[in-house]
Amino acid sequence: MRLRQLGYLARAAGSNLWNFRGRNLVSILIIGFSFLIIGIFLSLSNNLTYLGEQLSNNLAISFFLNRSLKSEDLDRIKQEILNSGLNLEIKLVSSEEALQRFKNNFPELQDIISSLNTNPFPPALEVRFKERAISLQALTAFMDRIKRVPGVEDVQFNQEWVEKMDSLSRIVRAIGLFLGTILILASFFIISNVVRLNVFARKNEIEILRLVGATNTFIRLPFLIEGFVLGFLGSLLSLGILFLLMKLFPLYVGSSLGAARQLFELRPLTGEQMGWLVAGGIITGTLGSVTSVSRFLRV
Amino acid sequence: MIQLYHIWKQYQKPHWALADVSLEINSGDFCFITGPSGSGKTTLLKIIFRELFPTEGQVVIDGVNILKIPDHKIYRLRRTMGIVFQDFRLLFHQSVFENVAIPLRIIGLPYKEIRRRVFQALRQVNLHHKMWEYPQRLSYGEQQRVAIARAIVNNPSLLLADEPTGNLDPELAFEIMTIFKEINKQGATVIIGSHDRELIRHFGDKIFFLQKGKIIGKEEKK
Repeated sequence: MRLRQLGYLARAAGSNLWNFRGRNLVSILIIGFSFLIIGIFLSLSNNLTYLGEQLSNNLAISFFLNRSLKSEDLDRIKQEILNSGLNLEIKLVSSEEALQRFKNNFPELQDIISSLNTNPFPPALEVRFKERAISLQALTAFMDRIKRVPGVEDVQFNQEWVEKMDSLSRIVRAIGLFLGTILILASFFIISNVVRLNVFARKNEIEILRLVGATNTFIRLPFLIEGFVLGFLGSLLSLGILFLLMKLFPLYVGSSLGAARQLFELRPLTGEQMGWLVAGGIITGTLGSVTSVSRFLRV
Repeated sequence: MIQLYHIWKQYQKPHWALADVSLEINSGDFCFITGPSGSGKTTLLKIIFRELFPTEGQVVIDGVNILKIPDHKIYRLRRTMGIVFQDFRLLFHQSVFENVAIPLRIIGLPYKEIRRRVFQALRQVNLHHKMWEYPQRLSYGEQQRVAIARAIVNNPSLLLADEPTGNLDPELAFEIMTIFKEINKQGATVIIGSHDRELIRHFGDKIFFLQKGKIIGKEEKK
């Protein structure tokens, strides 16, 4: 195909987009709406991922130690923890430090502490994990091993809560995958039917082109360009509305959710996700055109 | 030369739209296929430009069996033909110029050449002064002439016309037929499907009579 033919077809696609602007606007809105739903889901999933990361960043295990522990015993316990192979940092919290922390955090309970003659807080080793995702099995195995080291008296770690978060995030991921697949299939189906209507409305034109000797590529190309442009504009529209929702959501809906609001917050999409969304729109628009126009290309 | 061998065409059992039609049309002929409505004229023309396949039989144009041309190569055959439909088949959202230019756009001619040829074709049908009008603003006869200009703009060796004067008054029909005769004089083979006896008697050099899908007669002026 010659360059001037491509230029002509691109101009033809442009003029068709303009001539049938009402119908094309509907296509753009449908594509936009379909990808907006996918975008909202992605954004919510981003938020859950973010919350999960925050959680594992703050994940700490306290190993309470024997008060009469010697420094070489402490070194041995530290070494044992470091040998676990997990990426972590250890901090020794002395009895005095623990007492001070308690006083700072709960000033209203100071009287009770003052009435005691002794410091009730044992020294502890606080272990924080630098890795973002540690499996619950790895954590449990690690704790069981350290608990058995002489000098370690107790472990504090809210295992039940972590287990719940772990299963919640797994369920959310599964629902996301399921919904995402259905939505993408549904939007492809809707778009391909809208494009089919476009093609059907222009079947007279396709017919004329076939009979005066146009190749299938020549007939198909303007529709492909149109599908590409509609998909591109539709996905851009979905990103625009998503951006607006992110700005407006906390003001109007978020306030009624109270503490749960954190779970439903829309977190901005990453550049890669936006790229995929736009690519998805373009692919859906273009494929929708290809499948629809092919029906009319029988010789 | 166009040769049709034992063409049978059935849309629905048990009726045959064409039944054992065989005919031969030489290059440069000005030929009519005539018969009452439903006799198979349109079906026969559609088989010649391969919009339809016959149920049985062979169609040979200039030594090539067109029924054996693969679908993706059929455009080559169509580029050697000009086709005029009874319902014109114009694009109403495009100007007269753009409508006539379609066959030239397809082969990728430069714009200057397209403009020259479109003007020439429109002048031949005496419509060059309406090049930038839109078809819906033209009369029936003018729309038909745009369709003829589109069919002749790429200098086809074969021109097919299905009831080209079906909706026109006798004066306009005569004018259109004169244009076809002119194109024929320039070397193109012209095949017209028509049931207008007056026109056929006046213009026809070779006439095939169809009835109920069968050739019932042939007339040739010497």
